[in-house]
Amino acid sequence: MSDPMQNDPRLLVHAYVDGELDPAHALELERQLARDPALAAERERIDALRQVIKERLPPLPVPLALARRIDAAVGSSRTSARAFSASPSWRALAASVIVAAGLASSATWFEMRPAPAEATADMVVASHLRALMAPQPIDVVSSDRHTVKPWFNGRVTEAPRVVDLSQEGFPLVGGRVDVIGRTPVPTLVYRRRQHLISLMALPSGQSRIGMPSERTISGYHIVTWTEGGVTYWAVSDVAVSDLQAFAKAFREAPA
Amino acid sequence: MAGNEDDQARFRRVVLPHLSDAYALARWIVGNATDAEDVVQDACLRAFRGINGFAGGNARAWLLTITRHAAFTWLGKNRPAAMVGVDDLEEVERKELDRGLPMEGRETPEAALIAKADANRLEVAIAQLPVPFREALVLRDVQGLEYREIAEVIKAPIGTVMSRLARARNRLIAGIAAQEGVGKT
Repeated sequence: MSDPMQNDPRLLVHAYVDGELDPAHALELERQLARDPALAAERERIDALRQVIKERLPPLPVPLALARRIDAAVGSSRTSARAFSASPSWRALAASVIVAAGLASSATWFEMRPAPAEATADMVVASHLRALMAPQPIDVVSSDRHTVKPWFNGRVTEAPRVVDLSQEGFPLVGGRVDVIGRTPVPTLVYRRRQHLISLMALPSGQSRIGMPSERTISGYHIVTWTEGGVTYWAVSDVAVSDLQAFAKAFREAPA
Repeated sequence: MAGNEDDQARFRRVVLPHLSDAYALARWIVGNATDAEDVVQDACLRAFRGINGFAGGNARAWLLTITRHAAFTWLGKNRPAAMVGVDDLEEVERKELDRGLPMEGRETPEAALIAKADANRLEVAIAQLPVPFREALVLRDVQGLEYREIAEVIKAPIGTVMSRLARARNRLIAGIAAQEGVGKT
């Protein structure tokens, strides 16, 4: 930064509150903050502004109509027309069935490298979003776990654990098959008020129990944990506390 | 069997997780939801056509760069007056200074007052920022990008990101003070 303006503490204090100053500059700025009340007041104003923006202007979810329009536009601009129906959920389902058929014929196929967690998280959010934008976000619609669980037979290698969480405020809505990486995985769909929660069950290849961890990708929260050789990914736009409560309820529910 | 990921699958994996970021940026640049939807759709089509050009770096910054470009194209067509260059901006600020008009950073409200600003006022104040300041502020304080990501999106050095962000915040703070009737007598 050769521009003399950019050594101005009134400018650098912004980078300081953003955590963007290198340690040497940060230390120097802290010294200046300690001896310059006007600068310290400036820092408080900036902090207050950042905080109030974060609280009052949270990121907006994408309107579903827009997501559908994009899906349609991208779908129709394909050069190689395929004989899939116009419904994206049918396309997704057809694709997953093709992959599943390939899977059944090659036993070694399952020993795929686990996708890096970040890439998996992106795919989990993409699948959730894509399901939301489909005319019907679920392939099997039922609040009865004895209907949902058998539906997965033949569609994925192992039907997921399906539990009833209606007492906890998360009624079951249904299920679908998502493709994460190249693996068709069972996804259960639960509801929290008007929000859908997708719960994907990915084979983890390890039997140890991993405690829940969470992250956020463009406003969608993800809570993930490992249990019984399965890594569960719960994704939704509900409040993160609700999603944690959901994960807890699912883990504690009797099978 | 799934061989190479096809374009549509790639689009889904790379673009869809960042759709809400694209929408938010478009909305803040063009100023309303309906036009923002058109801009995002345009950006997504561009992203889809260029999906093979995405080298696998920061997908969010990549999509936001395309979205920003689409938004500017829209502004140029529909709101040419909003397309203030940074040079023009500095000129405007110099004139404001000469005429003794309220300038950024002149009014110094208490932090507690800023903390009470309501959503509508904030939105209006942000919407009134010139585009180069507004986009820096939105990318950082609404969308949470790091300086180097913002630099990538707006194609400017990190020092420029810092100074635009500082000026955007100072203007907002002064704007809040003016609304609340403090700092000026």
